[in-house]
Amino acid sequence: MKKKRSLLTRLSESISGFFSHFINGDGITKASYVVMGLGCLLRKQLVRGFCYLLIQVLFIWYMLSTGINNIIGLKTLGVNAQGQVWDEVNQIYRYTKGDNSMLMLLFGVLAVFVVIGFLFIYAASVKNAYENEQLLKVNKTPSDFNADVKRMFNEKFHVTILTPPILMVFLFTLLPLVFMILIAFTNFDKNHQPPGNLFTWVGLENFSAALYNDPVKSHTFLSLFIWTLVWAVFATFLNYIFGMILAIMINKKGIRLKKFWRTIFVTTIAVPQFVSLMLMSKLLHDQGAINVLFKNLGWIEDFIPFLSDPFLAKVTVIVVNLWVGMPYTMLITSGILMNIPADLYESARIDGAGPVTQFLKITMPYMLFVTTPYLITQFIGNINNFNVIYLLSGGGPLSLNYFQAGNTDLLVTWLYKLTVNEQNYSMASTIGIIIFIICSFFTLVVFNKTSSAQKEEEFQ
Amino acid sequence: MKRILALCLTLVLLLSMLGGCSSNSGSTSSGDTIVLKVWGSQEDQVILGVMIESFKAAHPDKTFDISLGVVGESDAKSKYLEDPEAAADVFAFANDQLKDLVAAGALYEVTRNKDSIVAANIESSIAAATLDGKLYAYPMTADNGYFLYYDKSVFSEADIASLDKMLEVAGAANKKVFMDVSNGWYIASFFLGAGLRFADDGKIDWNNATGEAVGEYIKSFTANKAFLTGDDDILKSGFADGSIAAGVSGTWNAANIAEILGDNYGAAKLPTFSLNGVETQMGSFGGFKLIGVNSQTKYPVEAMDLAEWLTNEENQIYRFEERALGPSNIKAAESDAVKEDAALAALAAQAPYAVDQNNVPGTYWNPAEAFGTALESKDYSKSIADMLNELVTQSNSN
Amino acid sequence: MIRSQKTRTALGNTIIHIILGIMSFIWLIPIGFLLLASFRKEAGAYTSYILPKGYTLDNYTKLFTETSLFNYPRWFLNTLFVAVVSCIVTTILVLLTAYALSRMRFRLRRPLMNFIMVLGMFPGFMSMIAVYHILKAFGLTQSLWALILVYSGGAAMGYYIAKGFFDTIPKSIDESAMLDGATKSQIFWKITLPLSKPVVIYTVLTSFIAPWVDFIFVSVIMKDNYQNYTIALGLYQMISRENIYQYFTRFCAGAVLIAIPITILFIYMQKYYVSGITGGSVKG
Repeated sequence: MKKKRSLLTRLSESISGFFSHFINGDGITKASYVVMGLGCLLRKQLVRGFCYLLIQVLFIWYMLSTGINNIIGLKTLGVNAQGQVWDEVNQIYRYTKGDNSMLMLLFGVLAVFVVIGFLFIYAASVKNAYENEQLLKVNKTPSDFNADVKRMFNEKFHVTILTPPILMVFLFTLLPLVFMILIAFTNFDKNHQPPGNLFTWVGLENFSAALYNDPVKSHTFLSLFIWTLVWAVFATFLNYIFGMILAIMINKKGIRLKKFWRTIFVTTIAVPQFVSLMLMSKLLHDQGAINVLFKNLGWIEDFIPFLSDPFLAKVTVIVVNLWVGMPYTMLITSGILMNIPADLYESARIDGAGPVTQFLKITMPYMLFVTTPYLITQFIGNINNFNVIYLLSGGGPLSLNYFQAGNTDLLVTWLYKLTVNEQNYSMASTIGIIIFIICSFFTLVVFNKTSSAQKEEEFQ
Repeated sequence: MKRILALCLTLVLLLSMLGGCSSNSGSTSSGDTIVLKVWGSQEDQVILGVMIESFKAAHPDKTFDISLGVVGESDAKSKYLEDPEAAADVFAFANDQLKDLVAAGALYEVTRNKDSIVAANIESSIAAATLDGKLYAYPMTADNGYFLYYDKSVFSEADIASLDKMLEVAGAANKKVFMDVSNGWYIASFFLGAGLRFADDGKIDWNNATGEAVGEYIKSFTANKAFLTGDDDILKSGFADGSIAAGVSGTWNAANIAEILGDNYGAAKLPTFSLNGVETQMGSFGGFKLIGVNSQTKYPVEAMDLAEWLTNEENQIYRFEERALGPSNIKAAESDAVKEDAALAALAAQAPYAVDQNNVPGTYWNPAEAFGTALESKDYSKSIADMLNELVTQSNSN
Repeated sequence: MIRSQKTRTALGNTIIHIILGIMSFIWLIPIGFLLLASFRKEAGAYTSYILPKGYTLDNYTKLFTETSLFNYPRWFLNTLFVAVVSCIVTTILVLLTAYALSRMRFRLRRPLMNFIMVLGMFPGFMSMIAVYHILKAFGLTQSLWALILVYSGGAAMGYYIAKGFFDTIPKSIDESAMLDGATKSQIFWKITLPLSKPVVIYTVLTSFIAPWVDFIFVSVIMKDNYQNYTIALGLYQMISRENIYQYFTRFCAGAVLIAIPITILFIYMQKYYVSGITGGSVKG
């Protein structure tokens, strides 16, 4: 295995190449630094050269029309607030359009993306021009368009097939993400929002407020953070273990109607989650059907506050999440369980191990080994599990100790409430970033250390 | 595999044609057409349609293309702020959103025909639409408050004077008295009744002796066997199956409840509650529904004319006739029909004890709900004094 | 000795049958409640009794007859359209990404995988406002195409299961094809894809279902345009605070109507779903 060069060395090589190619290149190559694609157009790569040229023209047109303004706008996020001008004829104040800080930020980020993307293409075009020069020097012809197309479906196939999805990810995930991250460093809130007002950069103010400066908010943050972790651990592992036990029970030799049982649990997956969760919240309400049923049966006198008692609500959301999640785990683990070598169980039985010991000593270790990646994705998914909490308890019951949050609120649902009810976008975004840092740190460390990521090649 | 793909493609083609046809049809407009959009609640769609037609008829010199969107008064602010440019030109909202909307620069100041609008509507509704001396919206209804609905077969006129008496009677009849105490809007009734208020900057200081007495009363109220909480749906279902005998709610439920209770339908001002042994009248929030003109509109003059039209005397009467919404227009409110309406009469009887919502900060609602929820679920782990301290801290932290 | 073990197994199996029975019952309670409520004559979400006092089919028929505001049939077609298109786009994007990341070795492969994984950690709906304004810049808001773009825009990030599946297909098959002169593209279409039926079906199924259950993104994109709502948002609208009393039973009927096809689809495709996800999410 050859030693991989780090990204950094590769980047510095490209940069030094960029300059050395200019110094070493001939006239046409040098001219390609000014007019993109010249080194291709004049050296038998007409289509490619034309594409480079077109990109350059489009880029210049974009920068002149809006791009430069967008980037400059990033610095201030707008200076002209919405104003009023008296219209004597109609007896009204007409509004003059002010700057919209939010759109300025968004399109500023977009412009920066475009510039970065252009620089990459520019560097590639220059390198291309230089390579063509070198090829011609040794009397080889640069590849023509047909050969290029062929390469796109063979050696360069990964470039072809990754470009559309990655472009989509850039546009619909990365760009919004960078935008939201930047919001955390502004004062975008109720009193600084478009169209009436401007917002601007405030540095790390929001982070200090969330973490220690503002006692009400930082206390809420800490409490919700702890509950989020507790929830994620319970939701993930209880689902995992009980789902597995369910799968083992259904798959056990001698159990009849296997398909029937499986179908019943699959049905609950097929009912859209928001429907079943909304229904559950109605069923578990203080006056809901379950309390009514228990009362009619004479089991209870007063209603059980499933969702209105702080502690019980926490238990309820975890239990209902079991209802939602166990069938999935059952489906997923069914297949893997059958792969466990039967002789392992056989020898254990000869050693006198009961079902529980077998489960703990054989099934669990094997399953854990095989499904660690799945567990990690589940864990992260639960930290961000908006749907279950929002639809089931709405974060409630609300707490007097928390700033605009309830006892079952996760950090994600809290930040949602902060945006929708409080229009405190900057604080919400700050919390989002903190969740993000926690999750990505956790995953990158654990994930790249797990057996399956290491041994990716072994199975091929 | 191939056949499935072919099938899918055909489906897509078919459906995209469908989608294409319908989306193209709406976008044609000539240069002179004035395009406006109006937001109103779902129940108002039909009557708004009628009012818009009459508006068009009254302005034959201009061509209008006015569309309707369903956004309820309570959601107007959050929907508006998602994208002001895509929001309606003219929209209805509850007056407690006025402060935030003005802060966001969302509303046109009302200057056109201001004097006649101010003169035509009751003073409190104008006050609710005014901020820093500037009028920002057109009063539409004056009924965003609450009062008492009761079942005449259970309570006598004398019973409903006092909350404790009501609980006693209802308890004896094995029925419930409904109030959504875990809701900042309703729970405030007790605090306001005891004379506690929001300061001009929205701050509260309810963690005093009076506040504690109020808190203790709410605690005993929620602990009563005959007490029931919940949302509108529970109130209506409860009246329908006879388990609820009285409930605190607003005019929007009047039609449903009147239909359910029939001859036994009764509405009155809120009862009194005993504060340190003294019978004290429960207060309430009195709110208004307003119509505002979007600051981003392309046709401010026409939008204002439309907003004014939607809230004029004639249409307020029409709104009352069709939907039983209480008018803010003075002349409309004085008509006999309005005066005979039981729910509106009850609201009017409650009006002297009602407090406007203009100073209520957005941070108040959640802690107030938390306060009520804790008492409703009989979570007595903290003393009332501690809870009030927390309520005040949370509500005042801005 | 043997006999006692047999009785013990029999006893154990009986207990398991009973447990499964009880669990099935618990799991079916909400669904039973949904069905009951969908046929209930009386309005409202809460009743002080369990069994409805009267039964009716009105809740179902009204979905299709009272369409002036809640246009259920229209929403159904909208959702079907979005589901079909976004499912095709998503499936193609996911499979391509997964294939490239699984079968090809190039410089940026590992950084790219880590990058995509880290991106996935960010709570997605936080970026909704930005996504909305990007779509608006394209002039696409309040249209079904915008919705399709949103659902398939992040598709590549869900490459993980499919990649895991491709990883399990022996590389030697590719190599022998390559010796026969096949290009990478041909290998993907003619060899890998036919071998990956389970994961293709898994991807199709999950991406087809997404538009039927999401309501948050739709509400941000469609706003007040009721005509372009999807089923999920439409149903969600029915149980908003103002509507729930009147429309709850109709909401239940609407939910049953979309649950039926999805259930059938799931039961029918269960086998592929399971082998797709077990082949892909784990290495065994």
